[in-house]
Amino acid sequence: MRSVGCVVVGGGPAGLAAARTAARYGVRVLLVDENAELGGQYYRQMPAAFGSGAALGRETREGRALIDEVRALGVETSLGATTWAIFDQRTVAIATADHTERVAAHAVVLATGAYDRPVPFPGWTLPGVVTAGGAQNLMKGYGVLPGRRVLIAGSGPLLLVVAHYLLQGGAEIAAICEAAPMRRLWRHAPRMLPHLDVVQRAYRYRGEIARAGVPFFTGHVIRRALGAGEVTGAVVSPCAADWTPLLGDRTFDVDTIVVGYGFVASLELARLAGCGERWDDARGGWVATRTREMESTVPGIFIAGDGAGVAGSATALEEGHLAGLAVAARFGRLTSREYSREASRGRGRLLHLAGLRRVLDELYRYGPGLSALAEDDTILCRCEEVTHAQAAEAVREGADHLYGVKVWTRAGMGRCQGRMCGPALGELIGRVTGRPAALAGVFTPRPPVKPVRLAALAEERS
Amino acid sequence: MSPEARIPNVPRGRALTIVVDGVRVSAFEGESIAAALLAEGRRATRWTAGSGEPRGYLCGMGLCQDCLVTVDGAPNVRACMTPVREGLRVESQRGFGEWSQ
Repeated sequence: MRSVGCVVVGGGPAGLAAARTAARYGVRVLLVDENAELGGQYYRQMPAAFGSGAALGRETREGRALIDEVRALGVETSLGATTWAIFDQRTVAIATADHTERVAAHAVVLATGAYDRPVPFPGWTLPGVVTAGGAQNLMKGYGVLPGRRVLIAGSGPLLLVVAHYLLQGGAEIAAICEAAPMRRLWRHAPRMLPHLDVVQRAYRYRGEIARAGVPFFTGHVIRRALGAGEVTGAVVSPCAADWTPLLGDRTFDVDTIVVGYGFVASLELARLAGCGERWDDARGGWVATRTREMESTVPGIFIAGDGAGVAGSATALEEGHLAGLAVAARFGRLTSREYSREASRGRGRLLHLAGLRRVLDELYRYGPGLSALAEDDTILCRCEEVTHAQAAEAVREGADHLYGVKVWTRAGMGRCQGRMCGPALGELIGRVTGRPAALAGVFTPRPPVKPVRLAALAEERS
Repeated sequence: MSPEARIPNVPRGRALTIVVDGVRVSAFEGESIAAALLAEGRRATRWTAGSGEPRGYLCGMGLCQDCLVTVDGAPNVRACMTPVREGLRVESQRGFGEWSQ
């Protein structure tokens, strides 16, 4: 088994920033990502075969510059490679299509990012329902539209960005349904003053949407995807402040529904490694417990970016930088004085960004009323095809934890390993038991945390 | 859905041909199987083992396992994470899929 200074898992903003900083101070870094290109979701790059410089938007171009820097620093990369486990604290198991490798790392930075919160609603399994992240990847990564006539439903600034890409690409948007009420925005004005660039960009996107004649409904949620075999329509309705759907259905003829009700941190590897986590009400989900150096509760394992708790790409860059600095300091690559100076600058920038995050978390605070969308026969666990009624029955019979519902119904036992049903199942358990969703716990991850080919496991290289 | 969903004026890789359920489909080097299928308006990638319902591209980042297809005889390949190559055989998948030659 070979050994490296630092393994960084995830090549998005946090992972790239961590790798850059650690490598600048002379740490030997191995950067691992499951995709064919570095960049992650936010900085998603077009394939190399599309030619250098191929890009649809500013995020791709910004990411390219950072990736070039990381490469110039001599960071070793392993792409198309799945990190499927962390053993013995810092032994990182990595699999490609045809072999697996274990790497002993002195330090590990987990920058695993986040994924769109899966929200079960009637018809959400139909082809043509895609997540906001999935729609973005298709457009930013391949220049392909997810559909021709699209309804966007969800909450948060990403809806505006998806709409921007769709309109630029020539798609028609039937409507945008933002769940948050977005009333009395002026209340937030003083706290948004230091972040005028963000406000300006939001207004630019809103202007573009208005000019295209796209109706923008606030306080509305998706109710149902219509269609047999694939999406042919969408039903939306107004919602209460906690996003509970209300009466007043409205139907749109669309071929695609883009859904984006915020994000869930990808904590599976951290969880497997035994890193501590806690429930965060503002984000409606689990976040990693960390020191201000971004170190988890397991010594030598750092967690940076959305994979620790969703806070966006700017924060991810700073957290990655802080993790990289801390790793370099452990190797004695900078004096404690240099470290304190650099780290306090980074923390200052994080504090600035936290002000923006607090406003966004208030504006788009997750509404647990969404869990009322599912009907009895709505699929909750997509892999094992467990319905809402089956899961609810298990909870009423006494399964008050994710693990119990899993044993009872097989929910969470499929190939996605509970990523798609876990969050909604937690909400359902909370709803039926009348207790906080946090008490429903999490699915225990087991290696491999993502499906890996047996042929790859059989071929271990050292 | 209209057959061509590729955004105009985007530089792409070399044109190539893949075979989807026995039908020749054009694609571009670098595209994922999912991108190539969606660009042609093919949205259902598989039918589930239990209810036999269609599923397709959802998360686009290799997590949800809903865009599984059979590639060159190997089942359960994520269309969103797998690049196309000249002559690649893609079959939409029923249930958990089967190995074939």
